[in-house]
Amino acid sequence: MRLIIAEDAAILRDGLAQLLTLRGHEVAAVGDAAALRAAVGEDPPDAAIVDIRLPPTHTDEGLRASVELRRRFPGLGVLLFSQYVETRFVDQLLAEGSAGVGYLLKERVVDIDDFIDALQRVASGGTALDPEVVTQLMGAGRRTKELGALTPREREVLGLMAQGRTNAAIAKQFVVTERAVEKHIANIFTKLGLTASDTDHRRVLAVLRYLERR
Amino acid sequence: MQNARVSSVLVTGGRILRAPVTRRTWAELAYVIAGAPLALLGAVYVVVSFLLSAGLAVTALGIPLLAVAIPGARGLGRVRRGLARVLLEETIVAPAPFRPGRDVFARIRAGLRDLAGWRAVAYLVVSLPGSLLGLAMVLAFWAWGVIAFTYPIQHALGINQMTAPGRAGGIRHGLVVGGVVFDTWPRLLVVCAAGAVLVLSAPWVVRTAVLLDRLLVRGLLGPDGTSARITELRRTRAHAVDEAAATLRRIERDLHDGVQARLVALGMNLTMAIETLDGRTSGATRGMLVTARDNAKEAISELRDVVRGIHPPVLDAGLDAAIATLAARSAIPVDLRTEITERPSAAIETIAYFCAAELLTNVAKHSGADRATVEVTARGGRIRLRVADNGRGGAGPTGGTGLRGLADRVATVDGTLDTDSPPAGPTVITVDLPLHA
Repeated sequence: MRLIIAEDAAILRDGLAQLLTLRGHEVAAVGDAAALRAAVGEDPPDAAIVDIRLPPTHTDEGLRASVELRRRFPGLGVLLFSQYVETRFVDQLLAEGSAGVGYLLKERVVDIDDFIDALQRVASGGTALDPEVVTQLMGAGRRTKELGALTPREREVLGLMAQGRTNAAIAKQFVVTERAVEKHIANIFTKLGLTASDTDHRRVLAVLRYLERR
Repeated sequence: MQNARVSSVLVTGGRILRAPVTRRTWAELAYVIAGAPLALLGAVYVVVSFLLSAGLAVTALGIPLLAVAIPGARGLGRVRRGLARVLLEETIVAPAPFRPGRDVFARIRAGLRDLAGWRAVAYLVVSLPGSLLGLAMVLAFWAWGVIAFTYPIQHALGINQMTAPGRAGGIRHGLVVGGVVFDTWPRLLVVCAAGAVLVLSAPWVVRTAVLLDRLLVRGLLGPDGTSARITELRRTRAHAVDEAAATLRRIERDLHDGVQARLVALGMNLTMAIETLDGRTSGATRGMLVTARDNAKEAISELRDVVRGIHPPVLDAGLDAAIATLAARSAIPVDLRTEITERPSAAIETIAYFCAAELLTNVAKHSGADRATVEVTARGGRIRLRVADNGRGGAGPTGGTGLRGLADRVATVDGTLDTDSPPAGPTVITVDLPLHA
């Protein structure tokens, strides 16, 4: 993949660039939002890895630049990462759709396989949410009646769907067959009142319902 | 030596001559003139309110009226302090603000015991004679001084003249004092000189009148010794609390920007080492590296929890956002209502946040409730956090729920924590904090 990293801490930026290069990706690295906009504008990569807090204010420059870049380049995958989960950022990030976006904690780069997996999902228009993000949203999600009707296992499955996992990956995690996962998902669709018109679309709808209701 | 004495006499003489036209003299004159009606008003206030209270003492209204009137005297005191600040450049620190209790009875008790209010009442009573006498003296010196000083002109113009029979049978026009008629030039000059003396001494009369009131204002309208000390302690404590909050904030930043970033980098380096070594070394080396990397990951996640305990980063977005995140993370569904029109200081936000976190944890752990409500309202200089649940109740400071610790923490900034938790529930815990430490 062709990637760009926007991160102000040199130690992380260089380390991550090195690690991704080692894995055979083409990596550019910048230190602030202005440089990110310029670099992407010049030559859009497959995906951008963006620290939410960038200079000069260290509040949400990275997030704002990402939202703007995704409007200009709809095909661009954006993986935001930050030190802590902040649900308000998730809201803003998902406000314009969940395709091709991700939000991970910085420390996930240590598990480089999972990290690259998430990057690939985002680059190909999927979603990647940190388990921590999903846990937080999950706690909130229990409030709604519809989600309350789900069994604990179904909620877990929905949580993994929200992280952007495939049925196969979910099956592997729970050590069950893919058939079993499909059955759970069908139950989730029924309980959430999503009719069978387009399976993939329903999947996104279920996740969105899960994320939005809180 | 001689020269020095001459020049000092000249300086003193110059000061005496210039005194009637200095800014200070006019400001003090204005103070005396403005002060007299205020003193009258104050005396009327005291007499009327105390008489009314006495008259109504047999009814339920007498005592409450007095409880309102006493702190009310502070208002007139404030006007006096303002006047002294503007005109006398006498800055008197205001006494600590009146703290009414939360219910009617507490309010009445606080009103009757309001020391600063009583002192203001005392000032209003004691300052009246001095103020009126001062005004009379000041007017006498200034008015008579000016009239006498300019009398030769008035005499020439034929105004302000009295008549007296002359020794030769004619009628003499002039100023008559004790049978002596001042109508000849030498005599007119005597009048003029007397006027000059009056005018020149008027500033010192004013100064004396003002000095008296100045002492009363200082003694009665400022904070008394104990409350001055309390104010000072409160100020330094607020400083310490804010300082501690700022320090924690800085530690959090340092951990975040330094240690955490380095740990993540360490983890990445270990990952790279594992990948580079793969297939070329024994499984034991690889195992050690994997363990090292797992330890780095653990350290990162533990550090994140530590940082969250020091200063939750989400507080940077404001208390409402932080509490919304808490509510979202809660294991029990939470109805959240926030109304924060005025942002509290960082230290107060931190305390309120940790209270909310602890109380929600209590709800989840001990109450057996399936719903909780969190209300945060900040207005009128106070912030109130109310956490309610529909659980089994019986919560108290002795129940091992950390409520005592919370109450202690809240008390460091003069806040209160009220527990209403009858057996069988429901539990309502209300934390009341000032907006600023």
